[in-house]
Amino acid sequence: MKLSKEAHDVLETSMRQNHVSHKDRAEINAVVEMLPEDRVLLYKNVVSNPLGDIYRYSIHIRIQHMLTFVTFLTLAFTGLPIHFFEAFWAEPFNNLLGGVGITRVIHRTIAVVMIFSMIYHVFTITFGSLARIRAKKFDIRRTIIPLWKDIRDFRADLHYFAGKRTQRPEMDKFNYKQKLHYFAAAFGNGVMVLSGSSFLFPDIWAMILPASIASHWQELMRLSHPHEALLALLVIAFWHWYNVHLAPGRFPMQWTFLTGKITREHQMEEHFLEYLRNLVELPAERKALQDVLESRELVPESLSMTGEPAPGHKGA
Amino acid sequence: MLTIRWVLLLCGWLSVNALAAETAEHLPAQAFQDSEGCLLCHKYPRMARITEDGVLRKYFIQPEVFARTVHRNVPCRDCHTEINELPHKPVKIGVTCNTECHSVKNPATGKPFSHKPIYDAFRESVHGRSKVAEGTDADKPYCVTCHTNPLYNPQEAMPPPKITDRCVLCHEDRTFVNRWYNHTSRRIREVRRTPEQIVALCSTCHDDQRVIERHLAKAKAEGREMGRKYPLAVESYYESFHGKMVKYGFNAAANCLDCHADQVNYYKSVHEIRPSRDPASPVSKERRVNTCKRCHTYADQNYAQLDPHPTSTREGNMFRYFAEKIYNIVGYVVIAALLGLSLFETIGRRRDGVGWRLTHGSSWWRKSKRGRKRII
Repeated sequence: MKLSKEAHDVLETSMRQNHVSHKDRAEINAVVEMLPEDRVLLYKNVVSNPLGDIYRYSIHIRIQHMLTFVTFLTLAFTGLPIHFFEAFWAEPFNNLLGGVGITRVIHRTIAVVMIFSMIYHVFTITFGSLARIRAKKFDIRRTIIPLWKDIRDFRADLHYFAGKRTQRPEMDKFNYKQKLHYFAAAFGNGVMVLSGSSFLFPDIWAMILPASIASHWQELMRLSHPHEALLALLVIAFWHWYNVHLAPGRFPMQWTFLTGKITREHQMEEHFLEYLRNLVELPAERKALQDVLESRELVPESLSMTGEPAPGHKGA
Repeated sequence: MLTIRWVLLLCGWLSVNALAAETAEHLPAQAFQDSEGCLLCHKYPRMARITEDGVLRKYFIQPEVFARTVHRNVPCRDCHTEINELPHKPVKIGVTCNTECHSVKNPATGKPFSHKPIYDAFRESVHGRSKVAEGTDADKPYCVTCHTNPLYNPQEAMPPPKITDRCVLCHEDRTFVNRWYNHTSRRIREVRRTPEQIVALCSTCHDDQRVIERHLAKAKAEGREMGRKYPLAVESYYESFHGKMVKYGFNAAANCLDCHADQVNYYKSVHEIRPSRDPASPVSKERRVNTCKRCHTYADQNYAQLDPHPTSTREGNMFRYFAEKIYNIVGYVVIAALLGLSLFETIGRRRDGVGWRLTHGSSWWRKSKRGRKRII
């Protein structure tokens, strides 16, 4: 496979950062060369362990996801019956928990856990990034920070969905959807904490803010809390669950949130650039890939030992 | 009309004489002492008339019920001062609560007992009106609008025998002891309405659109300015945190009187509520911060700017009105965009979607079928 300039740059950066030896470099280049031009063919034929092949999320991130998962749903299902107190469905919800008084206590308590989860996450990514910078292994393309490439990827993906492209774009460790979702959640959490604290400590907020905006702030926060909550719930229900459960290739679910590992198939399809880095960092993965390519007869004709043309290659 | 009334009264009087002896035997032992003979007529359930306004007014008194009211020891004519003869003439004003009792003395001063001090405070308030009021004043509450004098108070059903058993040793009559206990302990116990009841009480007028419109029209005609939130007082209160909390049954949240009545002498000040533009009002600009501070320890001038009666109408609060509009648009757009994208992805990927996975295996649960042969 002839790598694109972008992919080539990612691979080179990774090899430089990992101080790859000449021998390994040759091995990596050889295995990359063996890849078929058609990446669709590659991920469709690859064998994956359902529980995941390639390490992706640390235990901290998994704990944070679990905390967010539990607190988000608990907060939503305690907050909605408080806000829509008079709705017919709110009463059984509140009664189930022991009355609206108890629902409120649960809501606030879980909110503290959610804030803890946020702080824990900020610490994790800050110190994780600092450690990478210190070890000279930091690559901004590998982080969740949005880049122009994400817009290009989004456009290319739309073209692919519209049938105008044969392959999905070469996306990085976090693709445009994940970045959008991450920052939407981060923004939403921020709004919920600010607005929730405005309800709990209205006098403190009024003291901090200038008199001209103190009242507007309170009103905006009172609007924001339920609106943001509903929006978040709908986004989770319609988008996050779609992307992790219903989207083609993801149905019915993935185990990454528990195992921290992504399947080889998924990594190749949606995070190809990260897969290239995996080839640099994980010698075992090079071997596994080589085995797959050879056993599925996906190696290009020029490199194939059998001499038979491999499908998906130009001139095949 | 007047003649009809006289005929009615006369009939009543005649029947009273005929049945007086019989009825006296049926009166329960605890009935109040009708020393003035009012029950001669007023014991009859049909003692009533229909007023010029078409309202049925009953003049029937049930002695055993009256005997349970707080005024049971007050002879009728101490309050019904207009009645000087039998049969009496139609009354014009009726009972006013500032009348001095002739029979009941204030034990503290020895003077005739009266509600005059609190009545005078009420007359000074924004609600102040005379017993017989006309026009918009008639919409205002009179004493009995709020003081409904309930006959049954569950807290008073059974005075604690541990205490009353002791009293009855010397005071002999348990009925007297129980009443005395309830009378003296009533003010020790908290007998005011719950916050929910207070809001409901105020809402009877302040949430009545006809009353509101009448008062707004009158103020406009007189060139007076009404409070900005006057037309939306109840609606906006329920929009506030205080209103929500009260609705949820939390007594700690502020109800109408917590802010609009002075807390220094609560029981007096609830009778002298003033408009917020009056500097003496606890919610006036001058006093608002201190009122907020009663519950919100760190309240300052900024805090007093927060609107305790938030509305989202364009006229009432343009900022909130547009903020709400923008929020709604953003919400719909985001959800529509994300749903659209998901749908587009699903349709666009028919060629390797769920159907494809079912045919060729998926890497979800176990090793996929893809290990068997190559997919082209």
